[in-house]
Amino acid sequence: MCGLAGVARREPRGVAPEMLDRMAAALRHRGPDGSGRYADARVGLAHVRLSIIDVAGGAQPLGNEDGSVLIVYNGEVYNYVELQAELEAAGHRFRTRCDTEVLVHAYEQWGGGTAMLSRLNGQFAFAIYDARAGTVFLARDRFGVRPLFYTVSNGDLYFASEAKALFATGEVDAELDPIGLDQVFTFWAARPPRTVFRGISSLEPGTFAVWNGREGVLRHGRYYGLDYPEAGEEPAEALASLDELLDTSVALRLRSDVPVGGYLSGGLDSSISCALAARGSPFSLRTFSVTFDDPRLDEREFQQLVAQQLRSCHYVQAIGAHDVAAVFPEVVRHAETPMVRTAPAPMYLLARLAREHDIKVVLTGEGSDELFLGYDLFKETALRLFCLRQPHSTVRPRLFDRLYPYLDPQGRRGDFWRRSFLEAGSPHDPLFSHLPRFQLTARIKDFYSADIRAAVAGSDPLDELRASLPAGFATWSALNRAAYLEMVTLLSPYLLSTQGDRMSLAHGVEARYPFLDHRVFEFASRLPTQSKLLGLREKAILRRWARDVVPPAVQQRPKQPYRAPDVPAFFTPQPADYVREVLDEVSTARSGLFEPAAVAGLVRRCQSGAATSFRESQALVAVLSTELWYRQFITEPPRAPAQPAPLDDRVTVASRS
Amino acid sequence: MDETAVLARTRAYVTETFLYMRPGFTLADQDRLLQRGVIDSMGVMELIAFLRSEFGVDVADEDITESNLGTLADIARYVTAKRGNGATSGANGAGRR
Repeated sequence: MCGLAGVARREPRGVAPEMLDRMAAALRHRGPDGSGRYADARVGLAHVRLSIIDVAGGAQPLGNEDGSVLIVYNGEVYNYVELQAELEAAGHRFRTRCDTEVLVHAYEQWGGGTAMLSRLNGQFAFAIYDARAGTVFLARDRFGVRPLFYTVSNGDLYFASEAKALFATGEVDAELDPIGLDQVFTFWAARPPRTVFRGISSLEPGTFAVWNGREGVLRHGRYYGLDYPEAGEEPAEALASLDELLDTSVALRLRSDVPVGGYLSGGLDSSISCALAARGSPFSLRTFSVTFDDPRLDEREFQQLVAQQLRSCHYVQAIGAHDVAAVFPEVVRHAETPMVRTAPAPMYLLARLAREHDIKVVLTGEGSDELFLGYDLFKETALRLFCLRQPHSTVRPRLFDRLYPYLDPQGRRGDFWRRSFLEAGSPHDPLFSHLPRFQLTARIKDFYSADIRAAVAGSDPLDELRASLPAGFATWSALNRAAYLEMVTLLSPYLLSTQGDRMSLAHGVEARYPFLDHRVFEFASRLPTQSKLLGLREKAILRRWARDVVPPAVQQRPKQPYRAPDVPAFFTPQPADYVREVLDEVSTARSGLFEPAAVAGLVRRCQSGAATSFRESQALVAVLSTELWYRQFITEPPRAPAQPAPLDDRVTVASRS
Repeated sequence: MDETAVLARTRAYVTETFLYMRPGFTLADQDRLLQRGVIDSMGVMELIAFLRSEFGVDVADEDITESNLGTLADIARYVTAKRGNGATSGANGAGRR
């Protein structure tokens, strides 16, 4: 829920309330239910609210008894009930029954650091201003569900849930960071702390930062790191533990004063979270699904099976090719980043559908594939290792033909296909598992202009990733290394952000992730690999557990990746007007990001129907989204009104005397 | 169609499909397509579809090898041999799948 923003000045020159209002207005979609601000000579805080818990009493910024500690907060701390009891026992007095106030007292009790943050179970980003200490404490949840961006500019700290609020200050410039762009075209998203905006950072998941206003310094700390202390054997009580964990994880995520709905893809994970939600919700469950006109992408048959079993009120967002093109510019504006897939667009429309049916909280299944080795990439990694152990075997490589069953079978066969996996990189490379994907994605860079090529010439995203790996990485199994890379390069900055937070909160819908309860992660990371990937059977233990929870057809079905229409979305039968205009040779020459002749070639092939490959689909989405992003943020940014329209339900916390 | 013509058609196809965004890239007939980063595993899929539609050559599983498809010259030789044997039989005599 919510959006937050703020400024901390090094010198006491004041923070204009109008500036805070502009920041809040830029985040209005995240919190349409109310807003508030605070300003003194050094610090300004702004907040827009999506009311979920203590609808009447949870306005922000919210302070302690004497107003010396103030918070602006986005997210949920699910164990706030238990924390409140613990804090009350320690003598704290509460005025609301809202998790926001729990954080204020938790900060007072345990201080701004690991002792406080490690007690929180939830998805959150917040800023706590401690006027006595002259500090601002920024923190973000373990897996990066909720965003927090910041920059230090001219000695002052600026922070916000989305970068657009930073630019709304008029004091922070939006410029391209070519290295951030190069990361998007390697990993699908820039890797925190880097973003695609020069000088704008994303607070890393599992970390915090403390701004010392007197020194004008931001100090960083980590309170949570991913670890994989894999056991040799599955514990006898593993299924019972998983049962207890998923049950409590969902129960915690149903804590809400408004109805909770469920996203239902038709796969195992969302079916599980919806089934558990239906069991535990005091409200009748409403489920929401995306269907595709293209039968290769569609999963409606399985969605209906689950919806029938749960007797949910089921709503469907049908997606034809044109639907993606129609919302794509808005999708890019909300995501604030170029992208290499259109898959966020249907999620944008799905959130809109949920909101139209008065749902502002949904449970969703993300995280399970990373925790329980659901993706084909993990099978591919296991197979590549298996084959490389006997390089002369002609039988083993045939197993590759069983990967990626959703691709054209004409192409996934034969020695060439198999060798492409075997020659993709050395098993001694820490990035071994991901090299084929990184290499495929990097083909987008063939379209770079000479300027961008020169700007990124000195950096290598893969080397930077290798250098960032934690100390324990080398001791983990190959599949746990792959799982780690998937968590940090894809789940957090792309699935939870570009495709997650930004798409749902574009419509004021908060997604909650039962599989991303850190206790579930820690359970999964201790399991032996064969409990997760058994031969080529993914999510083995989860399937065993789900036997009595979801319909058999869903429990047994293989993982289907979520994909959305790409080239046809923009070119069938004719290119959408904005596509023609943005990809025009004059336009691309003006922005200078890609080689205009190469883009023209791509457009020609898209128009003629020749561009049917992954390579060209991703290139089209990459070039188009980058050009849209560049216009929206860099060359033609929206002009903030000098006097933004007044927000409703404004809360103004009086300045301290 | 002789081997030279097949080579020219295949070169034109590879250039306009895989290399139009890399105008400075020079590709020799004997250059390895996989190693030089011209065609990746996904690209092989496209190449095989092209050989079917352009030359009527149905590439059998066992024919998808480096020696048949590794370079432009290999492809031209393979396609010509297949066409000489009838478009649906394997260059190595493996016959219809």
